[in-house]
Amino acid sequence: MSTLKNESMLVGQIMLKPDAFPVLTARTLLKEALESMGRSNLGIACITGVEGQLLGILTDGDLRRKLLKVQKPFSAFFVDDALIHSIRTPATIQPSDTLIKGIELMEKKQIWDLPVVDSSGKLVGLLHLHPAIRAVLGMG
Amino acid sequence: MIPKIINVGYGAVPTVPIGGTLPLAFIGGPCAIESREHAFMMAERIGKICRKLDMLWIYKSCYDKDCRSSPDSFHGLGADRGLNVLADVRKEFGVPVVSDFSDPAWGPATGEVCDLVQVPAYLCRQTSMLRAAAQTGRPVHLKKGQFMSPWNMKNSVRKIEASGNDQVLLADRGTFMGYNMLVNDFRSFPIMMETGYPVCFDATHSIQLPTSMGNISGGQREFIPYLVRAAAACGINALFMEVHDDPQNALSDANTVLDIQYLENILGQAKAAHQMRLDLLAKYGEDNVHPEK
Repeated sequence: MSTLKNESMLVGQIMLKPDAFPVLTARTLLKEALESMGRSNLGIACITGVEGQLLGILTDGDLRRKLLKVQKPFSAFFVDDALIHSIRTPATIQPSDTLIKGIELMEKKQIWDLPVVDSSGKLVGLLHLHPAIRAVLGMG
Repeated sequence: MIPKIINVGYGAVPTVPIGGTLPLAFIGGPCAIESREHAFMMAERIGKICRKLDMLWIYKSCYDKDCRSSPDSFHGLGADRGLNVLADVRKEFGVPVVSDFSDPAWGPATGEVCDLVQVPAYLCRQTSMLRAAAQTGRPVHLKKGQFMSPWNMKNSVRKIEASGNDQVLLADRGTFMGYNMLVNDFRSFPIMMETGYPVCFDATHSIQLPTSMGNISGGQREFIPYLVRAAAACGINALFMEVHDDPQNALSDANTVLDIQYLENILGQAKAAHQMRLDLLAKYGEDNVHPEK
């Protein structure tokens, strides 16, 4: 017997809206990005262009790896544009995709978050792993 | 980052484009405007050397030196008289001109005459100054403060951009190493280039020993040629040097201004070193050492 309750649920029903996670501009400084991520209690920030298109994502893991590689002083690191330290071609999903597809993608890539984009590449939300699992398990 | 080109010069004077792979531009003149006659004589002599070397240049001289060490030091001709002299130099010699200004209220008058407006290093992070410079609508020559890291100059650049101006030239004029001593950290050029704006080396202030002589600054001008060659090889877009016909009796920065007898030699070397760098990049490719590999 399957334990899944909501196999047909869609990403768009569960995703966080852009006001509930950090969405930064291309000129946001890394220090501001870190503050923004800290406030949201999420390990990810999305960076968008003037039309709202997704330009890149910044994650805790990426920053952790950067800290071990970038040897410049923190004061220089902080004033970099967050965009230059971001992943420019992240895995994404669309709001009309199923939650199962989203969870499978996150499992495959061993990540916790998926930016949700529409067909034009515009950021419309963020799928976080835990709410997605709660939803498909019918845990309220 | 695509390098930006700034264009200095309005009206009848020739435009001096600065940036990218364009030829090295020269910004030079006596530190302070001492008199109309002296300004004209210097413009005549510097212009002749620049024509001989086929270098585009911008005449630099300030009308009010607000950062002198002593209250008794020569302060300048003042805005009215000084800017009139600069306007006349501009007209007579067909050369763009630059002066710094030290009070936001002086911005409009400075921008009315000058093709390039300069923000002094000590004031490089003052928002009111940066706003005033930006609002002149002229390109802004922004000197890195002796106390500033090159990466933090980005904040100052963004203040200028926030006021609607995207024509900035960033200069290194040395960094304090303890008291009364400046050193050049040439990493500042590639770091400041990350803003996309062209960069300039201020050679004659880099060899200054700030206020090292009690109530005036000293300087070690013997190091100017070494630093100029190194800066040109680093990839600067403009070279700034204060020049005087009689340094000992210069009314401002007597211990740092370059005697004009050396100008042709140093400018010629700077131009050649600048071109050599471009030739090397063309032959071997762009600098591409990745910071994380």
